[in-house]
Amino acid sequence: MYRTLVLAALAGLIAGPALAAGTCSTAAKSKFQPKTTLEAQLKGEGLTVRQIKTEKGCYEVYAVDKDGKKVNAAYNAETLEKLDNAEAGEN
Amino acid sequence: MPKPAKTDRALLPQAGARPSHDVVRVWDRIVRGFHWALVLSFAVAWITSEGAEDIHHWAGYAAASLVALRLVWGVVGTRYARFSQFVRNPATVLRYLAAIIKGSEARYIGHNPAGGAMVVALMVMMACVALTGWMMTTDAYFGVSWVEDAHSLAAHGLLVLVFLHIGGVALASLRHRENLVRAMITGRKRKAASADIA
Repeated sequence: MYRTLVLAALAGLIAGPALAAGTCSTAAKSKFQPKTTLEAQLKGEGLTVRQIKTEKGCYEVYAVDKDGKKVNAAYNAETLEKLDNAEAGEN
Repeated sequence: MPKPAKTDRALLPQAGARPSHDVVRVWDRIVRGFHWALVLSFAVAWITSEGAEDIHHWAGYAAASLVALRLVWGVVGTRYARFSQFVRNPATVLRYLAAIIKGSEARYIGHNPAGGAMVVALMVMMACVALTGWMMTTDAYFGVSWVEDAHSLAAHGLLVLVFLHIGGVALASLRHRENLVRAMITGRKRKAASADIA
């Protein structure tokens, strides 16, 4: 039992960072997609966008979903690919 | 070296060490604990404002709880902890500030009128910082920029007040030849002389 738990925890430690998909863009700001594009994309997903902040190569989105629950996510500013870590641009 | 017995000290007339009966207990443990815990909360919150979100939130909850506790203690606490002892009307505060400029301000055993006003200002500002910070975590105000701006403004305002507070403490310490920082650690101050206000 303990061995399984320990192994599972270790596996999580190793796999965790590997699973965290995507990184912020390293390209120049001129290569970034406009915020309005991201906003339209999010609107299509049913989100109400309150604010989009540029954090290094990422856009951090502050939004609420259809139920009014807060949604916080980061997107690669160049590809608009969603990242797992909402604070990706701040690190 | 062996400590001199208490009786020896009492026999020395005004020689060096101040006998303990010249000292009064002013700040109780809750006042002192509140003060330094609030200093720690604000310092931690300031340091973690650009990351370490969890710690930042806990520092904010701690600060809010401390202010709430102090509000209660300001009503039911010991003599010098009570708001009724040190919160004075604005006219009295202004007169005291004018007296500081003239260099004729009285020494108070509790908070002087300017210090009392600063206590209120610091607590109100801290409450604003904590409230707006908490609002930022709610669904209703998450990502709303005016709330973020208000939080930042209040936090910077609080920092300015802290510097004014430190300046005031330093000035009063120099003018009345007492270490007010130490008084907030030990709770003790020099007994009131005839010109002082107990």
